[in-house]
This record gives sequence, structure tokens and C-alpha cells, in this order.
Amino acid sequence: MHEFFLSTSILLCFLVLLCLYRGTVGPGVLNRIAGISAIGTKTLVILLLMGFIYDRVEMFVDISMVYALLNFIGTLAVAKYLEIEGEV
Amino acid sequence: MWPEYTEQSDNFGGKNKMIRVTDDVIIKTIARVLTPFIQVYALYVIMHGHHSPGGGFQGGVILAASLILLLITHGWAETKKKFSETKTAVFCAVGVLIYTGIGVLCIFMGGNFLDYGKLGGLLMVIPPEARSLGILGVEIGVGITVMAVMFSIFFDTSTGGNSPEDETTSSLR
Amino acid sequence: MEVTLLVQATDDAFRTLENARQQAIGLLDTAVGLTAETRSVQKKNIQAIFRGAQETRSKLQNFIGTFFLMFVFWVLLSGRFDTFHLTLGIICCLFISLLSYDLLFANIRIGDYGLVVRRFLSYAPWLIYQIILSNFHVAALALKPNLPVDPHVMKFKTKLETDISWVTLANSITLTPGTITMDIKDGEFYVHALDKKVADDLDTGEMEDRIAHIFMEADHIYVQDALDVARIYGAIR
Repeated sequence: MHEFFLSTSILLCFLVLLCLYRGTVGPGVLNRIAGISAIGTKTLVILLLMGFIYDRVEMFVDISMVYALLNFIGTLAVAKYLEIEGEV
Repeated sequence: MWPEYTEQSDNFGGKNKMIRVTDDVIIKTIARVLTPFIQVYALYVIMHGHHSPGGGFQGGVILAASLILLLITHGWAETKKKFSETKTAVFCAVGVLIYTGIGVLCIFMGGNFLDYGKLGGLLMVIPPEARSLGILGVEIGVGITVMAVMFSIFFDTSTGGNSPEDETTSSLR
Repeated sequence: MEVTLLVQATDDAFRTLENARQQAIGLLDTAVGLTAETRSVQKKNIQAIFRGAQETRSKLQNFIGTFFLMFVFWVLLSGRFDTFHLTLGIICCLFISLLSYDLLFANIRIGDYGLVVRRFLSYAPWLIYQIILSNFHVAALALKPNLPVDPHVMKFKTKLETDISWVTLANSITLTPGTITMDIKDGEFYVHALDKKVADDLDTGEMEDRIAHIFMEADHIYVQDALDVARIYGAIR
């Protein structure tokens, strides 16, 4: 079962690279925000899979919850900042 | 529950838009429902610092994040009822006071600074349990300070240093 | 002989018709009364919601509700049942309830919460099924080489009234692949749809009806009206 989790994590890391491409070269600020929040979501799943690999799920669930939370609030704050700066 | 939206009460005369009420129903409702859960989670992270990852700093950051979420969605007029600037200053100091107080108490009990084992006589428990309780107290202090300082940093950078409490009182009355 | 029979039959027929007419008038009167009553109650509810007033729920009720919900959440998170941790949980939940008792239960309707929860739980599998269906549809769209998409923004007025049902509808639309809620302004939804088919699926209004059913918002009036009309129709026949 560990091999399955490991290969899934590696696949997700590859998807993170794709999102990182959108986050770095993507035209406009909104594409970058979307790319970065997609990276956040994938990191969350990777953290949970790491928890399964190391058999410490109850620890990694806490970490991933914090990650999701701060990702959400960060995206919201950046969106609000862009709204008031008139970039959108 | 939301106060009437006026330019003066939320906007500080157009100077600050980062901490005014948003007019998006979805974000407002989600923030309103999510905030108590985030706060309970933050306190869980603080209180269970010795069993699971986390501790004072992380819990304080999450608690501050919940208040920041409230601030950028419901505006300063609503957040002020829960966490005003005066409370921010007081909590900054109280957290450090708890931390240092526990440390100095250990010195008075005949140990080193933050030597929790010596608190056992005072709390009437065995030294390992006293160590656990002492760490919990210190983490609560750290959490309170971090929460207040994080909130204060966000608030000051978003208002640009103008204290809105002075401005609202001067512009409204 | 035959004439008397005919006259009698006509008399009977007239009497039955008259009875039916009286019954129908009575039923219509009650129906009008019922509808007016529901309308006025509804109007009062809407006014209360839009004023943001919390007339029927006091602060104490909100406080107690928040406390119990938070304590359940704490126990779920903590998973330790010794006295020390439960006491810590009670203290923390009291603190949180003091801090934000007015957030969780603001703008909520008076009603049977257990029923709402049960209906929501039965709504979730349907939503997941819809998500899977349109997932396949969007995947097929994206994998076709000529990319037959037709993106457009559609606007519709909703019949839902509270903010929580608006948010449920908006998030359900966003969760379904192919459609994204862009904005809600004054009860009007602005939805970006990827394709004609997903837009048509949304236009049937089934999702909205189901959400109105969950939160008991607009449907009970309509159901009441339909029942009244059916009874009148049956009596007249």
C-alpha cells in the first residue's frame, strides 16, 4: 500500500509543477492566484498521503487543516487587496 | 446583526478599503459560519501542543487568522465589538506577563528560570505533571501574545498607521 | 311518468351541483384565508431577515447553541476523554461562545433544525451524483479535439430568501463542473456556464427547488397552494 501512496504523491508533485508554471508565467494576476491556490490544495492532499506513508495520520491531518485554512484566508486577502487596488 | 453600511462608519472617509465590509454574500456568510470553528481549532492547537504538532505560536497565528478573516469580511465596525485596539494592546502585554510570571515563579520556588519541576510544590502535584502544566501555561501566554501581535501587524499595515478609532470618533461626532 | 323522472333527475342534479358549489365556495374561502395567512407570516419573516433582526432567538439561546456545537467539534478534534482535557474543552468552548455567539446563528430561520439536517443529508448524495454526471460531460468536452465549448454568462433571479440558502445554491453550482457562480447581487445569480447542456441543466431549476425544500423556504406555500387547488378541483368534479 505504501507504494501506491508514494506513486500518487509523486503524480501530485508533477501536477504541482504544472500549477507552478501557471503561477509563474501565467498572464495576469488572477491566473497566478488560481495557480497558487491549486498548489495549496494539492499540497494538502500530499500532506495527508505523507501521513499515511509515515503512519502518523492524526498528526498530518492537523497540519493539512491549518494549511487549507491559511490558504483560504490568504487567497481571500489577496483577492480583496486586488479589488481595492483596481487591478481586476 | 450587521450594522448599516455607511461610508463613514466603515471606510474612515475613503482612506481605508482593506478593512471595510465586503458586499459579497457568499464570502460574508462563509466567514461568519467558519469563524467559530477556526477559533476552536486554534485553541485546540494551543492546548494539545504536547501531544500533536502545534503549540503556542501556531495556535496564536490561527486565532489571529480567524480575527483577520472577520476583519476583512465584516469590517472594522463589527470586529471592534469583539477585539478592539485597546484589547490588542492589553493582550500583547498580558501574554508576556503570563510567560514571564511563570518563569519568575520558578525562580521564587528555588529553581532556574522556567524550571517547571519546582512548581510541583505550589500546584500540589508531582514534578512531571507540574512540568506539563507549566508548559501549558507558557504556551497559553505565547498564544495570547502572538495572536495580539499578528492582529496588530495586519491592522496597522492595512490602515497605514492611522488609528481608525480616533478618526471615527472625530469624523462622526 | 318519464317526465316526472326526468324532472326529479334534473332536480337531483341541480341539488348536487348546488352542494358542490357551496363546498367549493367554502373551500375557496378557507384557501384564500390560509394563503393570506401564510403570505403575511412569510412577509413578516422576510422583513425580519432583511432587517437582520433576531427577534425570536435571544442571546442566551445563541450562546448555548454555539457552545454545544463547539464542544462536539472539540471532542471530534481532541479524541481524549480524560477529565483534564474535557475541562480544558469546556473552558475553551465557553470562551469561544462568549467571543462569537452572534456569528453562527445569525440570520437563521425559525424551524425544525433536525428536519433541515436530515433533508440536507439526503440532498448530498444527489449533489454528488450530479457532480459525477457533469464531470464526465466536461471531461468529454475537454478531450474532444475540436473543443465544442460555448462559454457564456447566464443571469437568473432566485426564489430563495436567506443568505445561507443562497450560499448553498451558489456553492452547489460552483461544485458542479462546468458552471461557476460569479456573483450574487440583490438575489440575482450571475453564473458562468461552459456549455449549452450544463446551462440547460441549471435552467430546469431542480437544484434550486431541492435547496428550497431543504431550508423550507418557498416550497411550502407552493405545496399548500397545489393541495388546495386539488381539493377544490376534486369537490367540483
